[in-house]
Amino acid sequence: MNKIIVSILILAGAFFILVAAIGLVRFKDLYSRLHAGTKAPSFGILLIVVGVSLFFNTPVVYLKGLFIIVFIYLTAPLAAHAIVKSFKGKNKK
Amino acid sequence: MEDTIPTMVLFIAFSMLLAAMALSFVRLLRGPSVNDRIAAMDLIASVVMGFVLVYSVLINQSIYFDIPVILSLISFFGTVAVSTYLKQRNE
Repeated sequence: MNKIIVSILILAGAFFILVAAIGLVRFKDLYSRLHAGTKAPSFGILLIVVGVSLFFNTPVVYLKGLFIIVFIYLTAPLAAHAIVKSFKGKNKK
Repeated sequence: MEDTIPTMVLFIAFSMLLAAMALSFVRLLRGPSVNDRIAAMDLIASVVMGFVLVYSVLINQSIYFDIPVILSLISFFGTVAVSTYLKQRNE
């Protein structure tokens, strides 16, 4: 039972990262590219981390997984914001 | 730990991540502006984190779980540093 849940979580995470890459190639604008390319990978990494933590099933791994999730969800919007701010400054000139 | 994941699932996940890495590398090569290249670099860091996590399941070693913590830190600092440099150069 545990095996099935871990497999589904890992496959779903890899699928979300693949969708983000497809969106990064197919969209026309930088803003829509960032919309696809910065939010979906965070969710994919979240699913993969939860799956791998359930696979190893020790307290240290759960703590490190919590660190990874909190850090990614704190920093991914900040990185996207920094990219967009540098792009807007270039257009205004 | 007691029951292992079938290897086929891990290889399917590896192939999905490899396709994602190839697509974001395409965007890294032909992005019109530098900002597109930074976004592709950020996505490549996420893909590498996924690779390391799935590989730790494949070889059954939980010590590999340390790598994505450091990798997320480094990718965030790189993205913010390059975009801050671009913003200050444009002004």
